Amino acid sequence: MDWNVIGDIALRLLAITIAFTGVLMIVAYTVLAERRVLAFIQGRLGPNRVGPGGLLQPFADLLKFILKEDIVPDKSTRFVYFLAPVVAIMTALMTMIVYPFGPNVTLPWFGDTQLVIARFDVALLYVLGITSIGVYGIALAGWSSNNKYSLMGGLRASAQLISYELSLGLSLVGVILLSGTLDLYNIVEQQSGWHGMRWNIIRPEGPQIIGFIIYLISAIAETNRVPFDLPEAETELVAGFHTEYSAMKFALFFMAEYVNMLTVSMLATTLFLGGWNVPFAADIFGQGTFLFALVSVVGFLLKLIFFLFLYIWLRGTLPRFRFDQLMNFGWKFLLPVAILNIIITATWAYFW
Amino acid sequence: MTAILFILFAGLAVGCAVAMVAQRNPLYSAISLIGVFISLASLYVMLAAPFIAAVQVIVYAGAIMVLVVFVIMLLNVEEEARRRLRLRFLIPSAILLAAVLIAQAAFVIYFVGTTLPTPPPQDPSTSEVGLTASIGTGLFTQYLLPFEITSVLLLMAIVGAMTLARRATLPPDALAVPGSAVLTKSIVDPDAVGDATPVVARTTAESEELLRRDEG
Repeated sequence: MDWNVIGDIALRLLAITIAFTGVLMIVAYTVLAERRVLAFIQGRLGPNRVGPGGLLQPFADLLKFILKEDIVPDKSTRFVYFLAPVVAIMTALMTMIVYPFGPNVTLPWFGDTQLVIARFDVALLYVLGITSIGVYGIALAGWSSNNKYSLMGGLRASAQLISYELSLGLSLVGVILLSGTLDLYNIVEQQSGWHGMRWNIIRPEGPQIIGFIIYLISAIAETNRVPFDLPEAETELVAGFHTEYSAMKFALFFMAEYVNMLTVSMLATTLFLGGWNVPFAADIFGQGTFLFALVSVVGFLLKLIFFLFLYIWLRGTLPRFRFDQLMNFGWKFLLPVAILNIIITATWAYFW
Repeated sequence: MTAILFILFAGLAVGCAVAMVAQRNPLYSAISLIGVFISLASLYVMLAAPFIAAVQVIVYAGAIMVLVVFVIMLLNVEEEARRRLRLRFLIPSAILLAAVLIAQAAFVIYFVGTTLPTPPPQDPSTSEVGLTASIGTGLFTQYLLPFEITSVLLLMAIVGAMTLARRATLPPDALAVPGSAVLTKSIVDPDAVGDATPVVARTTAESEELLRRDEG
């Protein structure tokens, strides 16, 4: 019995449990925040009856999802029908393990710990790969429901996803060029210069402003949010690929969409806005202390909340794209601009 | 620990491969193939090649198989019906040939494999060979020519696909007025195959007339 290995595995399981619970809590309250903020944008109040100001609404929703009748269409392909939401939620949650939530911290029991669940060399490629697998959840869901509208919604969503994956990946190449590594922990550590303000978006040897904007647009398209939410628009295809799913399976798709939103926001924060770097926090609290780690984690969460608010804000403001406009935009505009960004970044970094 | 993981992923790969061949529903075969690719990616990680594992998932399981699944869904490929095997002598001959193949492979591995110099097995946690930086350095310095030739090969494939899929299109100054139609001559006149000269019909009735001429 190698106690080091057992201790390591136990620590990672504890970290996974904490991260999983945290993610599900954030997702539940993002749903509530979306309903409230959308309501305020549209000039009404959202749900505010359950609990103080509506704060227990997610639990009411959870009860509803669990207790609802589970309807399975008769002629659907059984195995694939049950597999699709599993694939969707699994790929959405699997990306959580590579994000650094805070700096190195010296904890009393565990010693010097890195606040990341798994740190390995190809973390960024891992995230892109898992995002590619997530396309199957939608495609299989649309097909297995034995419903023409679901099939069209699923195929449209898959086509949209694989088109915008390209510009998503290419917009990250600029950051990889500047950082020289695919390891997310390293990328965040490299952004801690200038008292914690040397973020990749304003980095002197190649500011990634164009890359950030392209990433943001591609991320909104990847998560099927407005203005790119034609596959699940209510007026278009009933409910798109998740028409025939009820109760808990629909809850899994719903959660998978919000976890995807959280994932791409985390990636944007980590790569472009400096991750857990809070300006002047290292000078005030000192490296490796518990307070510094706490402030950094809170800073990370605040940046995440900013991105989630941006998503909700866009949902309340913009109309949606038509499908051919969507594909034109992805292939004929975003992809060339992403390649242009790579060329500009490489040239700038070379001559700096 | 490594042995357990290896048996798990290798068994998964073999099981998914057998399922892929034995399934009658083509979509289940495609899903089994995706399972094979992901198991192979896990085996690559255990062989100290994390970059290849990630690229395998991104390219093979995430892009190529998505297109295969699209084709199966769009063309609505039917499930194969169970039917009686008509060439019954194929079964014993297949078993005999498979046994010969396995005997050959065992012979090679047992007698020849041990005398060749094999590279030492890499420890996945400390090896430098499969890291992205090493692969990148090699690709852009020592193996630059194969890299560039591969790019040209991909470009050839893209240009070839576009050439094959192109069809006769209207010239850019063709007229399209709402309520009327601009048809290519190949649609109106069945003898003019591939002729893209635009035939303009100003009203819906006129275009109906033109098309009815084709049917009559």
